[in-house]
Amino acid sequence: MTAYTKAETLLKVEDISLSYGEKKILRDVNFEIRNITRPDVRQGQVISLIGRSGIGKTQLFKILAGLKEPTSGKVSLDNGNAIKAGDMGVVFQNYYLFEWRTVYKSLELAAKKNPELKDSGIKTAINRYAEDFNLTEHLSKYPQQLSGGQRQRASIIQQLLNGSEFILLDEPFSGLDVLVLDKVKELLLKISLTDERKTLIIVSHDIVTTVAVSDTVFVLGLEGNKPGATIKKEIDLCERGLAWQKDIHKEPAFIKTIEEIKSYL
Amino acid sequence: MKKIFSPFGRINRQTFMILGVVQALVALVLWHFASNGLIPRPLKVADAFIKLITSKNLLDNVLVSFVLTIKAMAISIIITLFFSYLSVIPFFKNIALFLVKCRYLTLTGLIFIFTLLTQDGSQLKLSLLIFGIVPFFVTSFLAVIVTTDNQQFEICKTLGYSNWETLYEVIIVGKADQVLEIIRQNFAITWLMITLVEGLSMSEGGVGTMLIKFNKYNDLTNVLALQLVIFVIGLFFDFILGNLKYWLFPYTKLQIQR
Repeated sequence: MTAYTKAETLLKVEDISLSYGEKKILRDVNFEIRNITRPDVRQGQVISLIGRSGIGKTQLFKILAGLKEPTSGKVSLDNGNAIKAGDMGVVFQNYYLFEWRTVYKSLELAAKKNPELKDSGIKTAINRYAEDFNLTEHLSKYPQQLSGGQRQRASIIQQLLNGSEFILLDEPFSGLDVLVLDKVKELLLKISLTDERKTLIIVSHDIVTTVAVSDTVFVLGLEGNKPGATIKKEIDLCERGLAWQKDIHKEPAFIKTIEEIKSYL
Repeated sequence: MKKIFSPFGRINRQTFMILGVVQALVALVLWHFASNGLIPRPLKVADAFIKLITSKNLLDNVLVSFVLTIKAMAISIIITLFFSYLSVIPFFKNIALFLVKCRYLTLTGLIFIFTLLTQDGSQLKLSLLIFGIVPFFVTSFLAVIVTTDNQQFEICKTLGYSNWETLYEVIIVGKADQVLEIIRQNFAITWLMITLVEGLSMSEGGVGTMLIKFNKYNDLTNVLALQLVIFVIGLFFDFILGNLKYWLFPYTKLQIQR
């Protein structure tokens, strides 16, 4: 098993509830994300939040992104501050970009918001990411001229340039064919390797693909007759020896874990 | 042939052009044979049209109307953008909504008030035009703002934009192409109204003044010829504004091609 330690808490979700009138969507959602360190490897965290369609994943996604106020509860960063919009990079399901800006300009606007990037550094950073993510030749194009995969990469770079340690991804595997799926998985791994504290939170209903790239899984579901979805189970994939392995989906332990997750949904 | 009459039938550009020419010819033939003594025949109107467009009188009057239209459009755009952009601020929202409702006020009933408020005929025409245009401009532009995809605002928030920065990026820059499209669509209204307001102060001339004079003497041939001139100028500006949009905002062409 790969050696690892779980260090400081990076993000804490405490007693999050969300209701629309009488309808309870989320109930007492609690979990925390900790910094996982491995000897001789600079690696961030990949967390997956799995739940059935319509269970409230998108609502929790928006709360984590600071785009929605929960009815009660709090999401806080390691400095104790409550999360607000802009603290987390967000990649929406449809890879939204400013349609009226070229890819380069969109990336530049995002980079300008990063206090760690000075004017001269912005261009260098954009070119470096564009090269890493095979987007160099598309920088002068408008989003309408990009394929779905290119849009996704541009959208991710936009958030990386923004400098946030967290990147929330809403259904990043939705509607992708098998070949593209492998590329996206590689891409996410590449992002997680960019910084020790870089944390990807993937919200998805695609269990197999999401779990295969994660180190921790949170299962969102309903408990008995209680209204509102909550975290039913936290699965530490590092502990089970199922994290950071390329062909993990072939392992019997992985298949067993998938079945276990399904049983909680 | 069947495609021409089937719903959502797709025809090529050449067929579309031929169809247009045939329909225009049929309309002209029908006009020719339906004309009695009072309504001039197409050839007579065409003859008057050629005489009209070669006369200096027309050029002078078109220029007068054109300058007035541009002035009115420019001021109306400034007023529209000011109140539309600020409509996202609660204090200005009511003012913008009131301007929208002003569409239901008729100009005719307000001419006397405007006469009292303005100093001369030129100002009267200009203010009436602006009063007539602004509610339509604001209505169109507020519709654009209201239908803005919420994700456009959300992406700005996730990038750490302030509300003012979001307003600038999403509404001012992001909707600039649509401002031009609204101007294009509403140019027709302005061009339509110009003939109305020019009748109120005829000393400066203009196509509206010419039209009223031709009508006064029942010169129907020249009325129709002048209508044709007004129509052609309208089409010309529609074409110019349409192409200006593609030139200034190249991504709008991509949206059509997709």
